[in-house]
Amino acid sequence: MLRCKHCLLPTYESEAIYDEQGNVFCCEGCRGVYNLIHQEGLERFYIDRKWEPQAGFKGTELFKGVDAREFEALVKADDKGLLGIELYIENIRCAACVWLNEKVLHRTKGIVSARVNYATHKAQIRWRPDEVGLQDILNKIVSIGYRPKPYSESEHLRQQKSETRDLLIRFGTAAFLSSQLMVYTIALYAGYFQDIDRDTKLILEVIALFLTAPVVFYSGAPFIKNTVIGLRHLHFTMDTLIAVGALSAFVFSIYQIIVGGKVYFDTAAMIVTLILLGRYIESSAKGKASEAIGLLGDLMPKEARLLQNGQETSVPVESLKIGQLIRVLPGERIPIDGQVVEGQTETDESLITGESRPVPKQINSPVIGGSINLQGSILIEVTKGPKETVLSGIIEAVREAQMRAPRIQGLSDRVVGVFVPLILLISAGTVVGHLIRGAALHEALMTGISVVVIACPCSLGLATPLAILIATTVTSSRGLLIKGGDVIERVSFIETVVFDKTGTLTRGMPQLKEVLVFASALKPEEALSIAASLERHSEHTIAKALVEAARGLNVYKTTDVEAMPGKGIRGLVEAKEVFLGNRSLMDEQGIMVSVDETVISDFQRAGNTVVFLGFDGAVKACFVVADMLREEARPVVERLKGQGLEVCLLSGDNMRTTEAIALEAGIHDFTAETTPRSKQEFIRTLQSKGQRVLMVGDGINDAPSLTEATVGVAMTRGTDIAMESADVVLMREDLWLIPLLLRLSKKTYTVIRQNIFMSFLYNISAVPLAMTGLLHPIIAAAAMAISSLCVVGNSLRIRRL
Amino acid sequence: MWTIGFLIFLTLVIGLGAYFIFLWAVKSGQYDDIEGPKHRMLDDDD
Repeated sequence: MLRCKHCLLPTYESEAIYDEQGNVFCCEGCRGVYNLIHQEGLERFYIDRKWEPQAGFKGTELFKGVDAREFEALVKADDKGLLGIELYIENIRCAACVWLNEKVLHRTKGIVSARVNYATHKAQIRWRPDEVGLQDILNKIVSIGYRPKPYSESEHLRQQKSETRDLLIRFGTAAFLSSQLMVYTIALYAGYFQDIDRDTKLILEVIALFLTAPVVFYSGAPFIKNTVIGLRHLHFTMDTLIAVGALSAFVFSIYQIIVGGKVYFDTAAMIVTLILLGRYIESSAKGKASEAIGLLGDLMPKEARLLQNGQETSVPVESLKIGQLIRVLPGERIPIDGQVVEGQTETDESLITGESRPVPKQINSPVIGGSINLQGSILIEVTKGPKETVLSGIIEAVREAQMRAPRIQGLSDRVVGVFVPLILLISAGTVVGHLIRGAALHEALMTGISVVVIACPCSLGLATPLAILIATTVTSSRGLLIKGGDVIERVSFIETVVFDKTGTLTRGMPQLKEVLVFASALKPEEALSIAASLERHSEHTIAKALVEAARGLNVYKTTDVEAMPGKGIRGLVEAKEVFLGNRSLMDEQGIMVSVDETVISDFQRAGNTVVFLGFDGAVKACFVVADMLREEARPVVERLKGQGLEVCLLSGDNMRTTEAIALEAGIHDFTAETTPRSKQEFIRTLQSKGQRVLMVGDGINDAPSLTEATVGVAMTRGTDIAMESADVVLMREDLWLIPLLLRLSKKTYTVIRQNIFMSFLYNISAVPLAMTGLLHPIIAAAAMAISSLCVVGNSLRIRRL
Repeated sequence: MWTIGFLIFLTLVIGLGAYFIFLWAVKSGQYDDIEGPKHRMLDDDD
């Protein structure tokens, strides 16, 4: 097998394209890109790049242009009269890609600066508008084989980012002051053992006081604020523990300065610092995951081509009114619900309804917003306002489910909820005990506070985030994106797994299943290569299935090809007229169908599409095409059942197709012909029986149930709506990731529980010492250090899976 | 005593300097792309 020189895709000899030097390319697009990179003298790209051998590009992406109008809203002008834009570049895989993009853009006349962020794949470009236009810049990026995508941060993401940055500054401040503080603390520790003169001790303690104050009151401000809010409702959270612990250590130390005892400033500062570190890790991981997910989804159309007075203008979808006419080109998403008034096509509604086959549309057929126009250019009349469409109904259902979803408390929060009141009680008991024993009031009070100081485990702040950070690093390297730490806890309790059919258990696109030949002289491969030679000229999903199946087979010379929307395709193959399409095309052309009808109708009823190949006045072969089960579906279902989980299938498709797929996958519990609402209802019924449900889906129709489920898992081929409502996104289309997710979550959850146990263990074991009033700073410091080390070490075990 | 006082003063001043550099680094986005510079460094033709 040959390999494309540019994109490294395996290429069959029969399809390869060669240039003068004898280099092999998989398509004209790749050759063009290769030539351009050579002309620019940037061949180093091919030496430096580090691509997987199976790289390749998605379909015909290289040929598709990019419309600058989609980007215009992102352009910003600066005071020097330059224009600037920030956009996302798809297909960047390694440092050489970044280098190539920057170089090519730099050499374009009029571009002042171009910088591509390696980590986020976002490019910042500034240019002189009088020398170069935005469209030229975008074309330049497309011409070297990458795809610019308009990308503006969502409000949610912006908030997340500023929160992360705020946490970084608070953590940095705390860490800096703590490290300064450590110098004085060590001097004081030395003093406890070797004695220190009173004045020096006082100076060191006062400096320590001034270093600790900002840590507690600036870096720790969010904790104190949340504690004040929480205490009003007698609600104890992690923040309460941190604030109470740090504040009591601080106050206790000031008291100790006055009476000439030992200070605990390092305890106060370290608690705040370590917890902030945990929060920062959590927040930045979360931000990265949601940013990656934001870039994955196929965006819903925001603009529509409005036809008014014979002119087409681009208008926002929200402004469309009932009765207006809009044009939808092949390959585009239909922006709104309507009715076809001109043209003929087929649409892919699989992501909205779960229907796996393309749906033919003629004049007067209704079309659903969000479905994809596969074939012809159509004109549609808007029949519903932008707020009443099927799509907006689904989005509404997602919102409702989000509002209803209970905030499941993390394990550490639940433990803390019990622990804090308990410690406060013990501390109050200590105060009373010492008063009865006849101690002075201030002495008794301070012993009580010292109980709180020692009981506050600062490694608790690391216990969960660290385990989750390591777990999410492992999962993302395997192709799983997890949106938050709480998801892992929820996954570990799952009892039922619900699969969507189209695009989840199946591939979501048709594949060739069988070839039936009716002429003895014709071999199946021969029939297939004739059909594929014709279909090479079509973008239809069924055409793609035939072309894919015929890879490596002979390609015939075809001329005069004409697509007939809703029927099929005709053309001259080696100068012979050939028809390929459905039954009505054959009848129309007077082609004799001398085929056993029952065989054909059996296939059709089981959810397959049958395509006829006719020439010389008779049907010579049939191709059975269907959305087939993924190879790994059955073993994955078996594995899940083996782990004691219930497995169900929900589909919007018809009963027969659903049944066939369910039985093939080994699932006995299935429901067909569901709507987005009834899927959601199904999940809710399961949950009301006390089941914890994991839902796997990809379509817009799954979005409400993904939100409703205890954990929602979306496939990458899905839409932005599905991915936004899910908790986990599968970056690779591989169902094996689901057992992996379950296994890893269970393990992580176990580690979290051990971590929490350990972090409490060391601190609680020192409580009796504090109660007797014999607490020493060294003990506090040791408890802190040992428990933190144990938590870190234990969390690292997750990597060994 | 004077030496200790001076050293304390010195550590605080140097530390504070480092702290301000840190603040500047966060605010000017030095932490936004921590992967790219190591590759860009080796790019020698401009």
